[in-house]
Amino acid sequence: MRVMMGLVENECLKILKRKRFRIILIVLAALLCLVVFAQNRQIQNQRKDHPERDWRAQVEKRAGDLERQMNQRRGVPQQWKRWMQYESARLRYHLSRNLDPNVLTGPMFTRAFAGVGSVLLIPLLIAVFGADLVSSEFAEGTITLLLTRPVARWKVLASKVAAMILFTTLTLVAAFFLAWGISGFAFGWAGWGAPILTGFRLGGASLTAGLDLSGVRSVPLWLDTFAAWGLAWFSALAVGSVTLLLSVVFRSAAAAMGTMMATLVGGTILSRVASDWDGAKWFFVTNLPLPDFYAGLPTPFEGMTLMFSTLVLGAWAFAALVAAFLLFTRRDVTA
Amino acid sequence: MSASEVVLSAVGLAKRYGRRDVVSDVSFALHRGEVFGFLGPNGAGKTTTIRMLVGLVKPSRGHVVIDGHDVGKDFEAAMRRVGCIVETPDLYKFLTGRENLEHFARMIGEGASSRIEELARLVHMDERLDGLVRTYSLGMRQRVGIAQALLSDPAVLILDEPTNGLDPAGIREMRELVRRLAGEKGLAVFISSHLLSEVEKMVDRIAIVHRGRTLAAGTLLEVTDNGAKSLEDLFLEMTRGETV
Repeated sequence: MRVMMGLVENECLKILKRKRFRIILIVLAALLCLVVFAQNRQIQNQRKDHPERDWRAQVEKRAGDLERQMNQRRGVPQQWKRWMQYESARLRYHLSRNLDPNVLTGPMFTRAFAGVGSVLLIPLLIAVFGADLVSSEFAEGTITLLLTRPVARWKVLASKVAAMILFTTLTLVAAFFLAWGISGFAFGWAGWGAPILTGFRLGGASLTAGLDLSGVRSVPLWLDTFAAWGLAWFSALAVGSVTLLLSVVFRSAAAAMGTMMATLVGGTILSRVASDWDGAKWFFVTNLPLPDFYAGLPTPFEGMTLMFSTLVLGAWAFAALVAAFLLFTRRDVTA
Repeated sequence: MSASEVVLSAVGLAKRYGRRDVVSDVSFALHRGEVFGFLGPNGAGKTTTIRMLVGLVKPSRGHVVIDGHDVGKDFEAAMRRVGCIVETPDLYKFLTGRENLEHFARMIGEGASSRIEELARLVHMDERLDGLVRTYSLGMRQRVGIAQALLSDPAVLILDEPTNGLDPAGIREMRELVRRLAGEKGLAVFISSHLLSEVEKMVDRIAIVHRGRTLAAGTLLEVTDNGAKSLEDLFLEMTRGETV
């Protein structure tokens, strides 16, 4: 056990000293500043354009626009239609409850970032440090030392898995506090207790059925945020596990990172364009936006639910780790 | 503990990749306190053999026993008794020499970190230990590599081409260090090389390996018929004049 702790300490030391993690934090902070700035500008422009209007009129107009687009335009992709239907119904429901859906506070922004970030940004950042974990030992030749010490190979890999989990968690915690901290400058840091309507669900498969409102409930924002970030963390761990497998397969960190990034981008494109082929729902990338599914946003493919996606991601993570262990403990280490 | 106690034995080692035998039959034994030269032309299977000795490559046939522990069956106990540098002394370049030693000491546990100072002095690296490995010369990396190999207080030290790329002063220093480790500390030192003149000055016994087989093994005098032939002549004869 003492040795295991030492091994995990070693892996953490190597991740920190390689300075990749610092770059991740800087990229995160820079991107968040940009997003917050852009969003703040947008809000100010809206206020400038319609200074007199109250929020009810605005929301009413937006919902009406969406409904018109949905019904008039032909050739609108099925998925957009589903989203428009969802969004207009969500706005209408807020109107009926007399709650402004667009009020933006730092906590609201932080909640929304869990969904946006877990699709591409956070997975990419995790690929940046995860791709290094094993492949760099091969690339730098240190694998011969690492595997000729009195520590069984499975323990060496287990320490790398532990470090992956630790730094994935750290990335999420950092993302949370950066999102809150930075957005707070523009939108204020307070507002964790605000009531949030959650649990919207598209009613059945048919488009006309509208929204199933039976599951809608009001929860305080902090609880909703906690659940969303917890799910984002779960997605991120699945990404970390698959990255670790690629890092074992490839001897170059660049190859591992490149493959992972191509997979993430490819999977994201897949879930945008190929909504007819529902076999894609078994692919791990299409299941990543767990926080969005939890919020009730329409899933990219029929038959996906929060539970389904959680199980698919869990299965991918488990299979990736098993494959990584089998490969790592059996492989001959040649030059 | 007798002087002839066997601390490492390789028995009938073979490694096959696809349909090619890289190593077909290599056997030898190392005794406590001796320097053992493992000679052969490039491509004879030296490095693959070394990788099998330390468990990096799983032998297709045969086995390795280090200080009573079978590498295949009791890996951790066997590795505790051996230190090695395989090919180049690759350390973590973004860490200092000391951080590298601490890193590997943590893998060993059992107070290995308390030996760092002493080992740094032994390899004359105590003054530069806090510099980044990136800034070290090859000779310095080689020396930190040896300090690392000695952290677990092993019975066997395995060095793959240890004088490769060193300047004459570095080669002499390496030779003296190896002799000292064998003489004073009773380590068995295994040295692979294709540089005969270097090895002749360092070793007690040798094995000549060619095309994956051990062709001759014994003390220098035995192998060279009491000095009737030079080691170079013998080596070239056995390896049929192939370039080394």
